[in-house]
Amino acid sequence: MAVVRSKVISLYKMMMTESNKFPSYNYRTYAVRRVRDAFRANSSETDPQTVERLVQEGQKTLGVIQRQVSIGKMFETQKSVVEN
Amino acid sequence: MAARVLQHCVRTLRLSSGPLALRAAVVPAAPLHRALSFYSADRRTRCVNRFPSLDVLCRQYAHLPPLTLESIEERVLYVLKLYDKINPEKLQATSHFMKDLGLDSLDQVEIIMAMEDEFGFEIPDGEAEKLMTPDEIVQYIADKKDIYE
Repeated sequence: MAVVRSKVISLYKMMMTESNKFPSYNYRTYAVRRVRDAFRANSSETDPQTVERLVQEGQKTLGVIQRQVSIGKMFETQKSVVEN
Repeated sequence: MAARVLQHCVRTLRLSSGPLALRAAVVPAAPLHRALSFYSADRRTRCVNRFPSLDVLCRQYAHLPPLTLESIEERVLYVLKLYDKINPEKLQATSHFMKDLGLDSLDQVEIIMAMEDEFGFEIPDGEAEKLMTPDEIVQYIADKKDIYE
């Protein structure tokens, strides 16, 4: 259980750091909010199989976030007004 | 590491050569360094490699004030107060994040990430999960930054 727990926590941290790298304000805030909400919504999950499935889903999403961040960096635009 | 070694060399050099000569070398170049100080950290290391002597000046004009235990504690508490799930009135240097402040492990991860942003270095997961009070964070950062007193 402790192993799973540390795995989930490191996944959470990686997803949060990765989401914070979006150059676009809208994508960044959405990704951070989405990751935070999803982890919190499933934080009381106890069934090992469901947890495993969710972790795998999270890892896939982490890949998606990483790819989208690199794509976002190719098309970076000026910062929006709310960021300054 | 390399930067630290360089800094050490520079310090010994500064001690051995007279302050007068050094000041003469510093003064005319001063405006340049002020401009340099706005460069990002990786730029600065690059310029250090090319002009080792500039490093002295960069550091003299642009380096942050040295960390002390008090300043670390102040910054840690400041970051924690800004975290929206912590009630600033309840927060004390010894309060436990989970027992006293009612946070969960995900919040604790976010706090650690905020500390990483504030102090500019990464805290590995294994050590991060042991940091449960502001005091422990202060102690950990002080250890990592070689500050004792």
